[in-house]
Amino acid sequence: MSDTIELVPHVDNPTAWVDGVPLYRADLTISQVNRDLTAAIFRKPNKFWLLGMAIAHLCLFVGIYVVWVQLHVGMGVLGLKRPGMWGTYIVDFVFWVGIAHAGTLISAILYLFRQRWRTAINRSAEAMTIFAVMCAGLFPLLHIGRTLIAYWLIPYPNPRHLWVNFRSPLVWDVFAVSTYTIISILFWYQGMIPDLATVRDMHPNQWGRKFYGVIAQRWKGTAKDWHHYESAYGMFAAIATPLVLSVHSVVSSDFAVSSIPGWHDTIFPPYFVAGAIFSGFAMVITVLTVVRKAFNLEDYITMDHMELMAKIIVATSMIVSYGYIVEVFMAWYGQVPQENHIYIWIRFFGPYAWAGWTIVFCNCIAPLIFWFRKARRSLLLLFVVSIIINIGMWFERYVIIITSLSQDFLPSNWRYFAPTWMDIGTFVGSLGLFFINFMMFARVVPVISIAEVKGVLQNQVGEPRAPKPLTGGKNAEVRA
Amino acid sequence: MPKSGRKKYRPPAVLALFADPHQLLHAIQEFREKGYRGLDTYTPYPVHGLSEAMGLKESWMPRVTKGGFFTGACLAFIFEAWTMAWAWPINIAGKPFVSVPAYMPVTFEGGILIAGISTFCAVLIAARLIPAPNFTSLDASLTNDRFGLYIPVRPYESASVQEILRELGAEEVKNLA
Repeated sequence: MSDTIELVPHVDNPTAWVDGVPLYRADLTISQVNRDLTAAIFRKPNKFWLLGMAIAHLCLFVGIYVVWVQLHVGMGVLGLKRPGMWGTYIVDFVFWVGIAHAGTLISAILYLFRQRWRTAINRSAEAMTIFAVMCAGLFPLLHIGRTLIAYWLIPYPNPRHLWVNFRSPLVWDVFAVSTYTIISILFWYQGMIPDLATVRDMHPNQWGRKFYGVIAQRWKGTAKDWHHYESAYGMFAAIATPLVLSVHSVVSSDFAVSSIPGWHDTIFPPYFVAGAIFSGFAMVITVLTVVRKAFNLEDYITMDHMELMAKIIVATSMIVSYGYIVEVFMAWYGQVPQENHIYIWIRFFGPYAWAGWTIVFCNCIAPLIFWFRKARRSLLLLFVVSIIINIGMWFERYVIIITSLSQDFLPSNWRYFAPTWMDIGTFVGSLGLFFINFMMFARVVPVISIAEVKGVLQNQVGEPRAPKPLTGGKNAEVRA
Repeated sequence: MPKSGRKKYRPPAVLALFADPHQLLHAIQEFREKGYRGLDTYTPYPVHGLSEAMGLKESWMPRVTKGGFFTGACLAFIFEAWTMAWAWPINIAGKPFVSVPAYMPVTFEGGILIAGISTFCAVLIAARLIPAPNFTSLDASLTNDRFGLYIPVRPYESASVQEILRELGAEEVKNLA
């Protein structure tokens, strides 16, 4: 055995600090972490939670009623009329898939970049991913109009010897979204196993211990367990990273591969991915501002975390704004009359100008307030701006999908798209489904990854210091 | 099968509970140098340097993931080519039957899917995970705030081992038999 085993903690591990400040309070002990993060599971739900549940159920029932009417009467109850045969259902689908992306970004990409601040938010963000993908999956199933035979989308051996067309972006979508769902669930569950074992060992009653015993699967936390677990977690992060970038690229290909003006655009994949992360982080902020209050988690989801997320919002907002500018510039530069008409005229000065300027305000102008530190550290502003961004990102998809279809190459075909209240009802229903799922999750599973927070606390040994100056490097002394 | 009612045989061993992971690492080093084998640790979170202290080999998870990815990607590509070009070739918009760029998304997703599922199954196998409603851990604090060291001992040396563990800072030492 070698004598060079590292027996001191990584005092110099810079990742447990943000700007020279430790991520978590210095006086937190790991048993305290255990108590605080499992409290929501053992406590009776408070009034706040019950009220949220009631409202979410109300939304869900509206959605169920609307879907029932639509399945009975037909697709005509929606605002779908020629030429706009892709309506708000596809808008909702793209919106929800976008919301899902922040979870994977936080859990996979930030993990690869060794950003330890993700530990406080990754569990809830991943849960949002799964619930958002569930909501997203509903819309194409309803939108195909013959929901009973939705399984035809899957290539299975059938008596007609027919296969799906693998050269079509719509089939890529089926594969991308279903793969994304499965991988997200596995990644999320694998990260939860140690925490479920913690809950199992401290559960006061026998049935609870049995239930958590089943889902924690005999996890003991031996050296070998952790060794393989950490390695597998890294591998999961490595495959989820390209996956998250590919999924929204594939979704954008649904549009970009066609020749419709307003869709036929090469910037779509990166621009969609940036928009997805942007809207996803907005939703994470929206939900976490409420969660930290509702479950008294201010010590774990600190203002530093909120501020870092606001910084990501600013960054992605700039990328999205760049995407808007490039779209308009390319339309003008290319001088294709139909593209000019869509990108410049009807989106900003024509019948859909109200939606066009909504997205400019919500996605390009409103997030700019986060350049100021005071705004990044104000909960009220974080909450309000994140809601504004959510609205803006929904309208961004609305503008892309609706405007391009409503006035394409054939002027005799043009028609203004007007959604009915049925369209709105389905979206409200999906919101209800999302929040019901999330609130149930917060009562069954620790909303913050206990084991990872403990690991960060171990690295917070030593004195807080000033952030490193951006000079130096290998040959600093030589140069000096 | 009816339960025999007999307790499962456990070899005699000592379990020490430490409050500090560094004491645990020291204890592992001590006992490994003394020539004890079959040591095991129980920690509530992955402790830095534990795998090295225990002398664990590189994990085989990355190989599973890579293998899964290439298997999935190859199978997906072959399946696409077979359905589109051989089983029922249909000319759609003049696209080639075997269109590599158009096959890439599904090929990639297929690879990722098999890689993810195989990695997950590999973790279940490596950590011997299986749903166990009646599972009880050696000590409830091991998933909370204590770091356990499990040392298989011969019955006559149990007392001396416990003594050494206390000297190394163990808060509590249990005799498991």
